[in-house]
Amino acid sequence: MTRSEIEQKLIDIVRQEKHDLPDEKLTPQTTFADAGIDSLDALTILFAIEENFKISIPDDRARAMKTLGDMIDAVEALLPSVT
Amino acid sequence: MTRVAVTGLGIISPFGRGHDAALAALRSGRSGIRLITSFDTSELQCKIGGQVPAEAHEGQQRGFDRFTRLGLIAAEDAARQANYAAIDVEPDRIGVLVGTGMGGCETLDASYRRIYKESLTRVAPTTIAYSMYNAATSAISTKYQAKGVSYAVVSACSSSAHAIGLAYQAIASGQADAMIAGGADAPLTFGSFRAWESMRVLAIDNEHPERACRPFSADRKGLVLAEGAAVFVLESFDHALRRKQPIIGEIVGFGATSDAGHITDPSIDGAARAMRMALRDAGTIDYINAHGTATQANDVTETKAIKEVFGEKAHAIPVSSTKSMHGHAMGASGAIEMACSLLALNAGFLPPTINLDSPDPACDLDYVPNQAREARAGVFLSNSFGFGGMNAVVAVRTAVAADLLT
Repeated sequence: MTRSEIEQKLIDIVRQEKHDLPDEKLTPQTTFADAGIDSLDALTILFAIEENFKISIPDDRARAMKTLGDMIDAVEALLPSVT
Repeated sequence: MTRVAVTGLGIISPFGRGHDAALAALRSGRSGIRLITSFDTSELQCKIGGQVPAEAHEGQQRGFDRFTRLGLIAAEDAARQANYAAIDVEPDRIGVLVGTGMGGCETLDASYRRIYKESLTRVAPTTIAYSMYNAATSAISTKYQAKGVSYAVVSACSSSAHAIGLAYQAIASGQADAMIAGGADAPLTFGSFRAWESMRVLAIDNEHPERACRPFSADRKGLVLAEGAAVFVLESFDHALRRKQPIIGEIVGFGATSDAGHITDPSIDGAARAMRMALRDAGTIDYINAHGTATQANDVTETKAIKEVFGEKAHAIPVSSTKSMHGHAMGASGAIEMACSLLALNAGFLPPTINLDSPDPACDLDYVPNQAREARAGVFLSNSFGFGGMNAVVAVRTAVAADLLT
């Protein structure tokens, strides 16, 4: 799975949790605060990511995340078969 | 002591959402008990319950557990009637007390299913926040920016009656100027049904759901589980008058006792003491909305308790169990029953006890059998007697009473 495929899938997941987010807010640079993603939203999104990608994100890594890009990085690092 | 007015009433129940849906069912004695469709009952013995009709609530609230979503809907309707935005006091003078007996059953059921049935290792991160008993209180407090005394009240089937009584005391004692109070419960889940089936107190009549719940009847078989929410806006009488808000009722008494007896067997003494305590402030009454669960134990015990409190006069007081129509919504039932009583009495009739064709000889009061009855009732008691021996009785003056009409 390429990075842009991961990004697209991640955006789909975020959109499921936060229906009202405009497209311009859905970029790797967007911080959770900018996107109106509170701590419980972020946990729910991480949970959906883990289910979707069948990975397990360690707590330390999860706590350090500030942007959607951080989530993409984590998925990329943890996916067993990234090309 | 500050007098406490009721200015808003929201109800969502097996009758549907709103005053008209409840009034229509109560007036015609129509049951809201039906075959459950909200989850798969194929493996269960009992397939019936007081389910809130899907069209009354689905898609109207996002997130949270089902009990919180129902609570939010009831709060929304109560706030609208009370013209809540016009309550002109500091936010920390308004509190929220919501009773629930079973909390976030939907959420816990879903997470247990994942862990134990599907052998998954993770559950939704919202599991704790959605299943906790004060989730509905929190959601309502946030939505209405009520920043005063707020907590969940838990006493099994008496939870919301305690919540309303405590909200009454908070205003009466000057702790708050207005309160949002009531109850919400949504126990129609697979796990909860298994637990209730095991107690052998469910009335199981899958062929005739509307006939299953038969309070005070000789052939009663037990309770019917239900879900729903009812929420009231209470405020000081002076405040309601000053802002010219129509007053639909007044809380005039509250009694709360513990049996200190058995964890599930009710006691005559505990129930009687709670009624006496509520009457100390209320004086005489014209109607009792019974706890009336249709279990063997409750109906006889409650009848004896009423006779102990009122003596010979007990036979002259109409007593009905609206649970015969809406079922037993656990911690929400006290609020739902107070809402049903206030709506019906303000509309000039007593709600009936349906399915009462052959009364138990040990239950010999006037239970308003099968048909609503035209009446002018000034003050009523709403009885709630919970497992654990926790009893709560709220006394309410209706808008029919002369001094509320001014």
